[in-house]
Amino acid sequence: MTDFEPTIVAFFCNWCTYTAADLAGTSRLSYPANVKIIRVMCSGMVDPQYVIKALLEGADGVIIGGCNPGDCHYINGNYKARRRVKLLKEILPSFGFEAERLRLAWIAASDGILLAEMMRDFTEQIKVLGPSAPKLRMVI
Amino acid sequence: MSRKIGTALVVGAGISGIRSALDLAENGYGVTLIDRAPHLGGLLSQLDYQFPTDRCGMCRMLPLVNRDASSQYCLRKGLFHENIDILLNTELISVDGDPGNFEARLRQTPNWVDPALCIGCGLCVDVCPVEVPDDFNEGLTRRKAIYLPVPHNIPNPYIIDFAACTRCGECQKVCPTRAIHLFDQERGRFRILVVDDEKIVRDSLKALMEEEDFRVDTAESGAQALDMLAATPYQLMLTDIKMPGMDGVEVLQKAKELLPDLTVVMMTAYATVETAVEAMKLGALDYLIKPFEPGQLIPMILRIYQGLETAQALTLNVGAVVLSGGTSFYDPKTGKDTLGYSTYPDVVTSLEFERILNPMGPTGGKLVRLSDGRPITRIAWMQCVGSRDLHENADFCSSICCMSAIKEARLAKAKAGGDLDATIYYMDMRTFNKSFQRYRDQAQKAHGIHFQRGRIHTTVLDRKTGELVLRYTDINGKIHEDRRDLLVLSVGQRPIPGMEKLAETLGIDLNAWGFAATEPFSQTRTPKDGIFLSGSSSGLKDISDSVIQASAAALNASRTLHAAGGHLSPKPSPAAEPMDVFRQLPKALVILCTCNGALAQKINLNDLAAKAASDPSVAHVEVLERVCTAEGWDQVVEQVKTVRPNRLLIGSCLPHVYARKLRKLEHETGLSSSLMEVVDLRTPLLVRGDALPDPALTSTAEILSMGLARLKRIEPLPPVTVPVEQRALVVGGGIAGMTAALAVADHGFPVDLIEKEAQVGGNLNWLSRTLEGYETKALFDETLSRIEKNPLIRVHLKSRVIDAFGQEGHFVTSIEDADGKMQSIAHGVTILATGGNEAKTTAYGYGTSPAIVTQKELAVKLEDKTLDPAQLKTVAMIQCVDSREEPRNYCSRICCASSLKFALELKTLHPDIQIVIFYRDLMAYGFYESYYTQARKAGILFIQYTPDQKPQVHVQDTKVVVRALEPIIAQDIEVTADLLVLATGIQPALPPNLAKAYGISLDPDGFFLEADSKWRPVDALKEGVFACGLSHSPRSITESIATAEAAAQRALRILSHAQLTAGKIVATVRHSLCSLCEQCISACPYEARALWAEQEKVVVHPVRCQGCGTCAAVCPNSASVLLGFTEQQMFDVIDAAIGSAMCS
Repeated sequence: MTDFEPTIVAFFCNWCTYTAADLAGTSRLSYPANVKIIRVMCSGMVDPQYVIKALLEGADGVIIGGCNPGDCHYINGNYKARRRVKLLKEILPSFGFEAERLRLAWIAASDGILLAEMMRDFTEQIKVLGPSAPKLRMVI
Repeated sequence: MSRKIGTALVVGAGISGIRSALDLAENGYGVTLIDRAPHLGGLLSQLDYQFPTDRCGMCRMLPLVNRDASSQYCLRKGLFHENIDILLNTELISVDGDPGNFEARLRQTPNWVDPALCIGCGLCVDVCPVEVPDDFNEGLTRRKAIYLPVPHNIPNPYIIDFAACTRCGECQKVCPTRAIHLFDQERGRFRILVVDDEKIVRDSLKALMEEEDFRVDTAESGAQALDMLAATPYQLMLTDIKMPGMDGVEVLQKAKELLPDLTVVMMTAYATVETAVEAMKLGALDYLIKPFEPGQLIPMILRIYQGLETAQALTLNVGAVVLSGGTSFYDPKTGKDTLGYSTYPDVVTSLEFERILNPMGPTGGKLVRLSDGRPITRIAWMQCVGSRDLHENADFCSSICCMSAIKEARLAKAKAGGDLDATIYYMDMRTFNKSFQRYRDQAQKAHGIHFQRGRIHTTVLDRKTGELVLRYTDINGKIHEDRRDLLVLSVGQRPIPGMEKLAETLGIDLNAWGFAATEPFSQTRTPKDGIFLSGSSSGLKDISDSVIQASAAALNASRTLHAAGGHLSPKPSPAAEPMDVFRQLPKALVILCTCNGALAQKINLNDLAAKAASDPSVAHVEVLERVCTAEGWDQVVEQVKTVRPNRLLIGSCLPHVYARKLRKLEHETGLSSSLMEVVDLRTPLLVRGDALPDPALTSTAEILSMGLARLKRIEPLPPVTVPVEQRALVVGGGIAGMTAALAVADHGFPVDLIEKEAQVGGNLNWLSRTLEGYETKALFDETLSRIEKNPLIRVHLKSRVIDAFGQEGHFVTSIEDADGKMQSIAHGVTILATGGNEAKTTAYGYGTSPAIVTQKELAVKLEDKTLDPAQLKTVAMIQCVDSREEPRNYCSRICCASSLKFALELKTLHPDIQIVIFYRDLMAYGFYESYYTQARKAGILFIQYTPDQKPQVHVQDTKVVVRALEPIIAQDIEVTADLLVLATGIQPALPPNLAKAYGISLDPDGFFLEADSKWRPVDALKEGVFACGLSHSPRSITESIATAEAAAQRALRILSHAQLTAGKIVATVRHSLCSLCEQCISACPYEARALWAEQEKVVVHPVRCQGCGTCAAVCPNSASVLLGFTEQQMFDVIDAAIGSAMCS
């Protein structure tokens, strides 16, 4: 499975995590090319549909990145994301996806290093999990 | 007659400066914001985590109304606002003129790196041979002489440290954009004259400076020096002060007559520092204290040289000046007792520890010893290092270090996963702000942080284990040893360098310790009308207090501008006719930036352009050189004007940099900036190791198509505006309410002031003077007369608010007067100033004897002379009565100061009175500390008690006996007093039904709940409602006035506009799909949604909506939509990201 390069979709909040991704870039921290970053205003606006859509369209993993608890620019959007992710993880298996294919991460604007580490770690985790099964089915 | 100028100058771009600048900009004034540092953010750029959330949240300072005028991204990265010009590396030299029409002279020192050309590639860093300590990490890491001052800023050009740079020229050679110019290859032309009667000094200075390539001559006397100056035009003279014959000051005066532009630095032994300061008034630039190290001299010479060679003088006409100078910190290595600092690497200052906690810090955010990299398991904090220390001439409290230390301990605990022994050594834990006591209690009980009263007196290193051995004496005099991996010194504040000179040139006062002093009852006014103080230059403050003071300073500056007639900043040029693109097919212009060739190195831009052009919605693709420069941007504008697209996509780097330019482009071309998108093509290429052309091209094409996917389906709506009822309503007529009403009315807006009593004044009706000795009656009379004279203020006495509804811009409040007459008032903003009262108590025998009184009762009795102090032999006072423990677990902040006031007053009147104060932690924060010192010197006794061993009170005939444990002698003592004064603290008077009427919340203690206690301290979560005075939090009169001014300022941001404009990213409802489940209404954090029952519709208040999109995520029917991020757009973007869309 070592040559498997997963596709990962990341929904990063405009205020903290997207800023951290920017910082990781300008600080020349390397993170895997597999992660496609989509900027959203708040982690609280990530509709469960977006996650499922990404997985169905062929993403092997999805990350939602938001501000640390208490930091949300919009007061409490990240708490809403947390609740939603908890529920999503429960229903993902019924779509044929392992719950581990979805990760929620709190990354502050100055945590460029943490962000790069998290993206590397998640990519490794997905590599171990292998390609997402519905995708394989579609290929077959 | 003064010219009308509607612009302000804000000096210092830390948190306070940013707050003042944003407030003024939101009022509509033009602002120039300057900082001598090369970056924004001041001290906070180094501190990521703040109490009491232990997190950030700085972005909440950004405007909520008309938010598109400002940047909408992390404030740590940078800031822009349409009305703010930011000048970095810029210092204020002088301010002349009158309020409303000042002439400010500034000096900008450009760096050797041209920020317009630097693309941040970092090649220069790789070749730079010089390494010096990095200030950003408090010197704990090293950086090159060419470096990024703050790693995360945007734009973030590299800069050169003039003092460290050896001018080897390597960076200049490798710079691909020729951004670097080492200007000073002609140092030999800069001529320096050294005047000193001692040959050894002359020769060593000459040798030192010649090593730096300067041309140096020497003179052994003043007479010789003047001869030489007459013959040769020197640029710089260093002169000794004490010389036989003509002394240095005389040389200075005569030299200035010969060469008025000559820069002079005085050299002096310690004894003549005062003369040196005098000399600065006569025109000397600076002074050096002998003996000095080369390390002091050379940077100073280089700074002067650099300043003279490249500095650009700027002159600005401004109406008002706000000084937000910030603070410096005590350096323990200069102290009489260094506690091992700078000897042992594991003794650090609090600022250094903040950097250790930071992921970008010296240890990558890991808690390991700096000495040997071993994990840290035990940390001690030592409070009051350089504060509350008479030996260091620091008879003041630095106010924030107690909370900082608790925060650092909590963060360290969290980082270590709980496996950490954290102890704070302290004198008094000064947790005097709202919610701070609970924060401390939680630290102790839930996080297991130890609080140890006492001071560490010795630090030694155990060389075997690498541990620090700390010795301290406990309160009973017993010596203990404590072994730690790390000792954090909570260092106190010091004035910023150059404060004295600045104060001198501006005509403002300094206090005894060199901090800026304010006028009585004001935190912002200086003796110089039109120049206001904000932030920590007048004493260190936490974020919340700094932000309040900054808004108050903005208010006063705004008042000056308004009084001078400069109502608004110059009107911008007329905007182009908005382009109507509704229902048009997308016609996109795609611009690809070469990033000065950096992008072209990694991918074939022509291939990328071809891929982009293959999309049917793309009308034209253009590859341009460096879009980020002025010339590059002109080409973009040209392209837009030629192609006339209805969508614009730019692929370059750092999208946030473009926000301001896009707004301008909209202004020029009429194409809505919501139809423009900038995507970052370069950063992803930087981080990815794969240099293979194909994968890079694919991923770049994906990024481009993601941007295009979002653009294609945008349906722009014309900007929505909401009218504003330009009238304010203030509830409560105490000093806060009166101040707020006056502040608003002084800007020309009518105000209704509602007071339930028969007279205004609140607590000022019984207070007589403050701890500083200021008479409150004078304040009351003056404020009242201004209220009475102001025709715009309607005072409603004996009236109360019955009900209210509405939101920012339009409220309707019903009030009822004493006769039961009802009246409805329409207003645009609401300021709550309902005040507070001294808390009632039954503790300590209160009510059982006339000899037991509260602080208020004592004040009244002293004033109406029903109590004769001459009859008192012994007075006891008990602090924290029913306070700082549940259920009233907060500090009332002013009771300690009040007790000091009464004690000192009584002691001054009758020195024989014995006064004993029983206290827990004496909250003499800030400059109140000196009164605490004064009280102890006057013989007033302070006995500490703990909540589990409170004093016992018995009434004995006419006397009161207080029995308590005296901890120093560890014995019970008895005080038989003629009078016992109880400090019961403050309770708010903010009725829950009033809060409910305005849709705001109260905190657990009944005070006003802020939208954010740090960043929006006087705003309610519901925009348009503000609070001040005691209903906000316990505060002194001066502090209450500051909250009132801040609340008025926040209100004026709204009142200053006839209409409020909604943001472009805003939520809306597709009514045909809506099932009225109302989930979006409860999800909205801003209460921007409501059910319009008659129409059976859910409606969105467009100005209140901040565009977070939570409503869209919870909607089960996709009826709730966030414009700019609609479901279909997101689906398209996801497709593009995965590569299943076009372009692949």
